[in-house]
Amino acid sequence: MMTTDQIRDVQEIYQMIRSALVELFGLEPARITPEARLADDLEIDSIDAVDLVDQVRRTTGRKISAEDFRAVRTVRDLAQAVQRVLRS
Amino acid sequence: MYYWRLFATALCFAVFGGGCLVLGLLVFPALLALPGGVHARRVRVRRALGAALRWFANFMRGAGVLTYEFEGIERLGRPGQVIVANHPSLIDVIFLLGFSPSSSCIVKQALWSNPFTRWPVSAAGYVSNSPTDIMVECAAAALREGQSVIIFPEGTRTVPEQPLHFHRGAAAIAIRAASVVTPVYILCEPPTLAKGNPWYRIPARRAHFSLRTGTDIDPGPFRHFAAGPIAARELNEHLLRVFARGLDCPP
Repeated sequence: MMTTDQIRDVQEIYQMIRSALVELFGLEPARITPEARLADDLEIDSIDAVDLVDQVRRTTGRKISAEDFRAVRTVRDLAQAVQRVLRS
Repeated sequence: MYYWRLFATALCFAVFGGGCLVLGLLVFPALLALPGGVHARRVRVRRALGAALRWFANFMRGAGVLTYEFEGIERLGRPGQVIVANHPSLIDVIFLLGFSPSSSCIVKQALWSNPFTRWPVSAAGYVSNSPTDIMVECAAAALREGQSVIIFPEGTRTVPEQPLHFHRGAAAIAIRAASVVTPVYILCEPPTLAKGNPWYRIPARRAHFSLRTGTDIDPGPFRHFAAGPIAARELNEHLLRVFARGLDCPP
């Protein structure tokens, strides 16, 4: 069971990622769902990922390691990776 | 004539490999051991490598395997300059590094494990193309400290008869840190040492390399136009148009 605090946490992170994706890549907000795959659905390649990780770092003050990012497939995976790095 | 060029081509490969070993194992370590900061040592190695590559370009010309011309050399090697070139042949980089010897260069990772090229690329402090995030950061850092960086945005040699395709890395790096982007158009006629062509399949006549430095592109307006990734996409599209034009109308 997650606490209310944690849920809000995830929601906030998810919103932050959504706005980063819209701002950086000009994506239609409707395309960004938790299940959307970064590479296949949103066409974010390894060059884009550098900017995305940078933007997350600017917003949260934490950097997702290249290793963690490699395991990220979907927007939800990314939100979870950000949550993990914020907790560590 | 054909058999001479075939022999001379083999000779050039041997000279290149031998040169890499002599420079990489004897000359560069000596240059790196001389006193001076990181910067001074790197400049020294790149100068020596540049001289060796110019000598090699002229050796290939003297051996009769190719002729070449390079226009606009004086506009290469400026601080913060990204030099973007197409990549029709294995040996394009010899001309670029030879005639813009102060520049850094993005080089494929595999050359750090090649027994001949590993010493020169590491002594000269070039940037590996992998992993992507480190490549972008290192190239941007080199530009910010005033080096120029040579990038082949195709990422590999041009696939003959296919439309040009650029990876966005060059544009992304330029958007981050370049003061100016300068195209170099390379034509090689007839094609030689192209992708998927073994060294011994030499062209029917001697190849001519024409390298031409194009008009500078200011990355500023692209940078102000949108967030980094969108600006990089715009700049990449622009570069493709510029190259389509630049390669279409040779001097």
